[in-house]
Amino acid sequence: MNDRMDRRWKRFLGVPRSALGSLVILFIALAAVFLLSFLLSKTPARTLRYFFIGPLQNTYYLGNMLNTSIPLIFSALGVSLAMRAGSFNLGGEGQLYGGAFIATVSAVAMAGWGIAGVICAIVLGAVTGGVMAAFSGYLRMKWQTNELITTFLLSNAVSLVVGYLIAGPFMDPATNLIATRKIPESFRFSRILEPSNLSSALVMALVMTVVVHLYLYRTKSGYELRMYGLNPRFARYGGINSGSYLVLPMFLSGALYGLGGAMAIFGTYYACMKDFSVGMGWNALAVALIARFRPVAIIPAALFFAYIESGARNAMLHSDVTFEIASIVQSVVFFLVTSSVLQRIGTKRERG
Amino acid sequence: MSDTAVTMHDIVKTYRETGRCANDHVDLTVGRGEILCLAGENGAGKTTLMKVLYGMEKPESGTITVMGKRVKIDSPLDANRLGIGMVHQHFMLVDEYTVAQNVILGREPMHNRFTIDADAAKRLVDEVIHAHGFSIDPSARVGSLTVGQKQQVEIVKMLYRDVDILILDEPTAVLTEQETASLFGTLRTLRDTGKSLILITHKLHEIKAISDRVAIMRQGRMVGHYETASVDERELAGLMMGKSFSPAIGKTPYGRKQETVLRFAQVSVVRRNQGRPMLKDVSFVARTGEILGFAGVGGNGLGELESVLAGTLPISGGTITHRGQDISKSDAHRLRERGLAYVPSDRLKVGSALEASVSENLIIAARKRFSRHGMMRGKHIMQHARTLIDTYSVQGTADMPIGTLSGGNIQKVILAREIAQYRDYIVFSEPTWGLDIASSKFVHTQMIALRDAGASVLLLSSNLDEILSLSDRVLIFSRGSIVAELEGERLHTVTKEEMGAYMLGMHVREAAHE
Ligand SMILES: Nc1ncnc2c1ncn2[C@@H]1O[C@H](COP(=O)(O)OP(=O)(O)OP(=O)(O)O)[C@@H](O)[C@H]1O
Ligand SMILES: [Mg+2]
Repeated sequence: MNDRMDRRWKRFLGVPRSALGSLVILFIALAAVFLLSFLLSKTPARTLRYFFIGPLQNTYYLGNMLNTSIPLIFSALGVSLAMRAGSFNLGGEGQLYGGAFIATVSAVAMAGWGIAGVICAIVLGAVTGGVMAAFSGYLRMKWQTNELITTFLLSNAVSLVVGYLIAGPFMDPATNLIATRKIPESFRFSRILEPSNLSSALVMALVMTVVVHLYLYRTKSGYELRMYGLNPRFARYGGINSGSYLVLPMFLSGALYGLGGAMAIFGTYYACMKDFSVGMGWNALAVALIARFRPVAIIPAALFFAYIESGARNAMLHSDVTFEIASIVQSVVFFLVTSSVLQRIGTKRERG
Repeated sequence: MSDTAVTMHDIVKTYRETGRCANDHVDLTVGRGEILCLAGENGAGKTTLMKVLYGMEKPESGTITVMGKRVKIDSPLDANRLGIGMVHQHFMLVDEYTVAQNVILGREPMHNRFTIDADAAKRLVDEVIHAHGFSIDPSARVGSLTVGQKQQVEIVKMLYRDVDILILDEPTAVLTEQETASLFGTLRTLRDTGKSLILITHKLHEIKAISDRVAIMRQGRMVGHYETASVDERELAGLMMGKSFSPAIGKTPYGRKQETVLRFAQVSVVRRNQGRPMLKDVSFVARTGEILGFAGVGGNGLGELESVLAGTLPISGGTITHRGQDISKSDAHRLRERGLAYVPSDRLKVGSALEASVSENLIIAARKRFSRHGMMRGKHIMQHARTLIDTYSVQGTADMPIGTLSGGNIQKVILAREIAQYRDYIVFSEPTWGLDIASSKFVHTQMIALRDAGASVLLLSSNLDEILSLSDRVLIFSRGSIVAELEGERLHTVTKEEMGAYMLGMHVREAAHE
């Protein structure tokens, strides 16, 4: 009975059986931070303090850390959704950027529309990302092109175009930043932890996580998508229309990226700056990997990622750690966390 | 020198994921130069015990002695080094590779450190093939081989590794009688050269025919080892099940001929780059209330017929109609909507999603019935799964990944699903592949019940006994065409030898005149 409850509970959370394994890995990763600090810093105690305590020391740092995790959550959900259907979406960066750009210029154009304008702009942003990704899915369905490559190439191309548009026709002449005009004040999400940047988009991120989870595990379409991802021949055999599951998951995946971009604009930046999204797509991939593509596990994974990133930044500001060293530490941690060899050790330990 | 090749003592293996004790203090001995059959019901733990011996599963306790030496086997590589080889219940071959490439995989002859010596590979593989009288071409692509030939590749792969102890997990499940006979010939030769063989099978007459001794497992325990000559088939069945059992199935002859469900007219399938058509001018009708059997040796068109029926292989000529409507161009999706239920011969690659749970696997084709407004109805699905698990006595629970079930139990889940969602016609391809005696009988009873309820049942099987005891009408395939149709009195009097002759295409003329 107890065991049953336990299993149901775990299933509900989507927690992998290897949750304990993940903890072991986390521990090894953190141990690596200690080791590196002692090797690379002359003031290891100070470095470690800022690395670990820094992100939590006051509401400003805490809020900013949480804020960093918002687009990560959206994007990681995007990666995972495609992954569950057996497709790779490596074009997240461009989809996020494109979505953010379209959402921004639409918001500027629809300044007088009130709440409808907000919704329209965000939806347009999501659709932009979605269409970009769906295009790759469509190519795969039609001509068996590899979506891993097409998403990536398309994303790069779109990023360049968007960069040109921001620097050219859509540049805000009033500032000397390379950015679009700002969205109307009334469109912006409220700040929920002053003085930090944290906005109410966090709530959206949490809601979206639950939505994606429910979609995958509770709806018929989610079921079909997962079965297609696990074994396409089985899905086809069962009468699942296989073509649509090459396109639909990609659309949803891209839409989540686009949404993440829109959220970053409406909650944090208010204007689409040139190249603001650089790195976000790849970071999202790391987060999704840590979460092993389970929607509910993405929240802790994104927080962990944001925490490490913010810790590295803090250590950089307050101790002798240079940017390069901070990056190395960060990379080592993610390398360890995502390494599948370690994951295997983690699971074995749990078994033995 | 002792004359036991392998001794396994007190082996305990519990699968953590499911908490199931698959091997409960099991002992096993295999003599040198002997053929030992390992038998027992589905889920008894046979495959698990062999995986322990082959280093694929780590037991919690127990010892293994090989050729008189205590050994620790942590991986198949270790096992190979100790001279142990295994041919799995499900083939583990790369379809895109040639026979030779598959055989050398993992133990390639090298020119130097970096490049494979392809000529040597071909020569070495050729040597093994000839030394044992196999009939496969080392440069053929494995994907183009028949099941029986793939089996040979698996065996050659092990012999190439110089094993002295060869484990075969249900090697005869999908072989025709001729193929089985030739496999047994090979196994006897191997035994006579001093190799030890462990063979898992559910077929009692095979145990009697091939083995020197038989070891019987039941529910994770070893019941005992017996001299094959000292036990008869009834006793064997009793030992496996722990109770007595009559294998005969009752079947009333069918009377009412009813409507035509499926009609094939001059259906042909031609593959690109292949001169001979895979199917040639195949015409037949399948009617309600009858079991239509299809017999043929591997590579003679039954595989293609199965794919055509499933809607995964487009036809190049002729027409197929279902209840009067043309379905020649319908894909699997459309056919399912029209009422196709279908048990595929490839249960792992086609019939299931191994990482998905049993309950998820059970609703694939009936998913519309288990959802409302696009939401899955969790309670219904679980209820459905529990009922089927009960009815088909599947050893497992609804939320286990189906891949953790034993081979026979996976098959039961697939059968349960398709029989439960049957609406109009149902195709069975190798339905009792890997099932134990009691389960086979249960499935056969179900098929007859379906027929009596008015289903049109199509049965494709390499097992002649199954075809002959169940079918109301039999179509025999040779080289992609129907060479004989047996019905009524003729079906009752036909001998297996005659069937064999038809299947080899010998009686074509005579049959055509009947
Ligand atoms: N990988 C696995 N994880 C969890 N449980 C497993 C796994 N493999 C097998 N089992 C369980 O162990 C038990 C014995 O399985 P095993 O495959 O050894 O049976 P078997 O005797 O080979 O049966 P069959 O005749 O159906 O092939 C079964 O109850 C099965 O569910
Ligand atoms: Mg087995």
